This record gives sequence, structure tokens and C-alpha cells, in this order.
Amino acid sequence: MLQHCHAYAVQAKRDGRKVVGILCEFTPRELILAAGGVPVCLCGGSAKTIPAAEQELPANLCPLIKSTYGYCVQKSNPFLEMADLVIAETTCDGKKKMYELMGRTRPVHVLELPQKVEDADAAEHWYREIQKLKGELERRFGVEITECKLREAIRLMNRERGLRRQLAEVMKCDSPAITGRELITLKSSISGIPADLEQYEKAIARYGTAANGVDDTRLASGAAKRSHARVLLTGVPMAHGAERVLEIIEQNGGLVVAMENCTGLKPILEDVDETAADPLRAIAEKYLHLPCSVMTPNRRRMESIRGLAGEYRVDCVIELIWQACLTYDVEARRVREVVEQELGLPYLRIETDYSPSDSARIATRVEALFETVRGRRA
Amino acid sequence: MISAGIDAGSRAIKVALYDSERGMIASGVHDQGVEQATLALRLFERTLVEGGVRRDDVRQVVATGYGRSLISIADTTVTEITCHAAGVRHGVPDAATVIDIGGQDSKVVWIGSNGKVRDFEMNDRCAAGTGRFLEMVASRLGVRLEDLGEMAGRSLQAAVISSMCAVFAETEIVGLLASGVRPEDIVAGVQASIARRIGGMVGRGVAAPVVFTGGVAMVPGMEAALAEVLGCEVRIAPQPQMTGALGAAILAAGRASE
Repeated sequence: MLQHCHAYAVQAKRDGRKVVGILCEFTPRELILAAGGVPVCLCGGSAKTIPAAEQELPANLCPLIKSTYGYCVQKSNPFLEMADLVIAETTCDGKKKMYELMGRTRPVHVLELPQKVEDADAAEHWYREIQKLKGELERRFGVEITECKLREAIRLMNRERGLRRQLAEVMKCDSPAITGRELITLKSSISGIPADLEQYEKAIARYGTAANGVDDTRLASGAAKRSHARVLLTGVPMAHGAERVLEIIEQNGGLVVAMENCTGLKPILEDVDETAADPLRAIAEKYLHLPCSVMTPNRRRMESIRGLAGEYRVDCVIELIWQACLTYDVEARRVREVVEQELGLPYLRIETDYSPSDSARIATRVEALFETVRGRRA
Repeated sequence: MISAGIDAGSRAIKVALYDSERGMIASGVHDQGVEQATLALRLFERTLVEGGVRRDDVRQVVATGYGRSLISIADTTVTEITCHAAGVRHGVPDAATVIDIGGQDSKVVWIGSNGKVRDFEMNDRCAAGTGRFLEMVASRLGVRLEDLGEMAGRSLQAAVISSMCAVFAETEIVGLLASGVRPEDIVAGVQASIARRIGGMVGRGVAAPVVFTGGVAMVPGMEAALAEVLGCEVRIAPQPQMTGALGAAILAAGRASE
């Protein structure tokens, strides 16, 4: 679906629409769509742009931040080059400070994300940030975001999230028709493209049916076997191009049946209330609930892991940490406790970056984990 | 019934032949090299001769170690984590924690009461706390690897080596030598630093008996440095360098009898 995205964005620009870059799942795509814009993910997943970024950024920084910024320096991400606005957010410190540098050459609007998520003030503050973003989009693009347009965008995003959830649920059966790697390939970088929604529907029809036991010879190549260890992958997002660890897991006896991260289920588990009296407040509420490791305490993430482990009947949990991602790294301690002590499942933490130098070592650890899983089954 | 285990490690290849009635009947070690598939095959053939075993009598071959997938004569591969656990259980049936320090890897494996791997920790990208680190120290001090233990024994006050990185630790050692610190104190300091690194991996999860495997277990004094950090006795596995290969051979026997 990524292949549509570039052509779609180019055509949208020609039609006078605005392209809006986003770098985080806290950014409400509904507002961008309601402003007539095209929301596109700009997160960098390539090792190639990192050397350029390291001329200005410290080496000991998360590769996602470095890769994203490298694209900015090299002007090599066509979506960033097309962007009329980049919406940033204060999640982790690394991103926050990188946005200041990005802001020297691009129009950047920063959303200030409160982090004591359970405080009543947090919801109020976040609501005001969303109101300010609405004003910014209206001013900058000379449009009015009417209640009608907002409600339409909410319905569109709910539909998209619903379809992506249904597609993810294909992995619930014993031998799914697709692998986790194939599932992530089906995901689009731009939200709200009608052709993508059709593709989601087709994929659900095709793989969902196969999952129900219908033999289909057109099945994806990677169709999983029952002998695979069922893996819940949690931790940091895997931006497009940074799927190496997912591939290693699936090449060494595992099947990633659920991804509790920002490129997987995390942002699509909850919808925006379509019936709410104030749609803007409903949007703010849904997005604030995103269980990112910058939140403290981050109870929702532990609840999500408990729920997904059961629903997807996983054999083990693997946590991916990008090097220097402090919040996920520290929170890994809590995740390990939940997985090992409450769920009674094996847990493996993998800390790496975008360079492939440790692939063999990661493969050994993953294989050993699956040997342990099989040892428990026997 | 006879089975074989081949451990293609980062610094050495090890082969063990195992007879399900008599235990390990022959073993061989060779330095690792570029042509590791050929080196492993030659070593395997030599070990067969030494053990007086015909190739056809070997029912199953399991390869382990970082080069395991390159060993074409193997019927299957198993990771070194599972193999070390199996090898250790053979010699020490109640072993609960395995510490393996090899050429480039260090790992801690916890064995459950069912005899199977319960959990493990492994170093990631860096070679701190591994055999390579000790080799660097020996070469920098101009002594042989096997003499490090005796040297450390003569230390009166271990030097403080604060860097965990093999490259920076080398710089630190150069600095210590320049400031007149005695080589034996440096060796003792290095051993303590490796032990602390392993201690960090073990965390609070130390369960006795602790068994020490891998090539570094043959360096005298390392088990004492580990015991000091862990606060419990550390036993060296019989033929510690062979543990992975022996475990592979035992697992091969299990597969052959399935």
C-alpha cells in the first residue's frame, strides 16, 4: 500500500490539498483530514540517513530520531519535501529537541503532551492543545474545520482503525494465512486513502476466510505453521524499513501474531466516540489514552499486554528497544515482571539500532527463546 | 548409540562424540578460521579416528555456536544456550545457573527444576567481559593467556578498571602501566571487572549450584573472581570448553532415539 502513497500525495498536492507530516500516533489525523489535508507518517526507518544526522545529533540517540532527521538534512524523504506543515509533539526528549532543529528549515507545530495521564488536568491541557492545533490548521491553510467535517473525519478514521483491527485479528487463528511481516507491509503511511480502505477490505476477505479453514492456494508465501512459537512483540515502533528484528523472529521459528507497538495495534485499539456532543473533546480523549512509555504511570500498556497475550494466545513476549530509548528501556523492567510473573510466559528484551551488525546474535537469542518455549510445551 | 556435537564458536571449534552408554568418548578442539566449514569437517574426522568410531556409526549430528548454520554435516542446529544447559546437566545434574564465557559471548542460563532452560541473558553488541577482552589484556601485558591466573594470584591490590568497553579498557590499561601500576594488579583488576559485568547480567537471580563453562573458565582465577562477586561457590564444569559440544551431542542422542 506504500506504493499508492507517493502517487496519492503528488496528486493531492496538484489538487491544491495540503500535505501534513506527522511523527507520532498522538497526533490526531482527524483534524488534518477535516482541514482537507493529507496526513503522512514521516518516521525514518533507514540506516542510510543516519550518518548525515550524526553530523548534528549525538551518536548515542535513538535511531528512529536520527533516521528521521537524516532525511530532513538530506532532503531525501519525498513526503517531508512535500509537507506544508510538520506536526511534532513533546513525547521523548530526543524527539522534542530534534524538532527544534527541524523547525529551522520546515514549518513545525509542536503539540505539548501532558505525561501524568491519569490527572484531570492532563485531559484539560491536552484538549486545549488540540484546540490550538485546530486554530493553527485553520489559519495556516485558510480553511474552517466545521463540526460536520470533523465528524466526517472521525467516522473515516474509525472505519480505517476498525479495518486494521479486523486485519490484525486474522493472526488470532492457529495457522494464520499471513505472517507478521506481511501484515505490517499491508499498512499504509497515509490515512484516509479510499483505495487503501478497499485493500484492507480485500485482505480481510482473503486472509480472514483462509484463517477460517478454507483452503486457498493464493495464500501469502509466508503462511505460518502451527509449530511456530506465537510471539507478542512489544516496545518501540518499527518505522518502514526498520523491520529487521521482526524478520529475524519469523526466520527463526517464530510468528509475530500481535504487535503492541505504535506501528501495530497500540493506536488502533480505541476509537473516537462518534456520538459525543463535543467531537474535539472526544478526539482529545482517545488520543490521550495511547499507552506510550512517556506516560507515567503507564498502566494502560500493561493492561493492553495482558489482554493481547490472552486474545492472541501467545507463547512468549519479545520487547524491542531502540538504543537510547530511555522510556521504553526503563519501562521494560515492569513489562518483564508482568509477562514473567503475572502471565507466566518467557520474555526476551532486544536492544538494537538500525545497523545489521548484531543480527546473528539476535537470531541466537530468539532461537534460544523458542527452544525454551518448545521445552515448556514438551 | 553414538552421536556428535559440533560447537562452532567465535574463537575455536569443538567436537564431542557421545556414546549413550559410556558418555563422552572423544573430543577435539581447533582454532576457528575463515574456512570454518572445512575446519569443522576435518576436526570431526580427526575426532572420529581418535574415538575409533566410523562415520556411519554416528546416528545424529547437532551443530551449535555462532557458526552452526555453516556446518553442513549437521542434521540440525540448536543454540549454544540450550546446548550449554544440556552439557552442564550431564556433569552436574542439579545445576541451577550456568555462566558461559566464550571468545566473544558471555551468557547466563538459568535451568528450571525440570532440567530445561528457564531464562537466559546474553551480552549484546559488545565484547566486554568475554575471552577476547582477556586476550587483549594478555597481549597488551606481553604475557600468555594461561599465565594470567598465576599473575592475578600475586596481586596485592587489584587495580580499578572502570571501562566496560574492550577498546577503552585497553586505553585505561596503557594509562595504568604508564603510571607504574604493577601488571599483576592490572590482571586482577581486569578479572574483577569481567566478574562484575557477569554479576550485572545475573542480577539478583543467582541460584546455586553455579557452573562455569566456556574457554574463559580455563583461565585460572576467573572462578574465584566470579565467586567473589556472586557471593556463592562457582564450580568449573569438567572440560569447560567442551560443554557446548557435549550438550549438542547429548541433544543429538535424544533426537536419534525419538
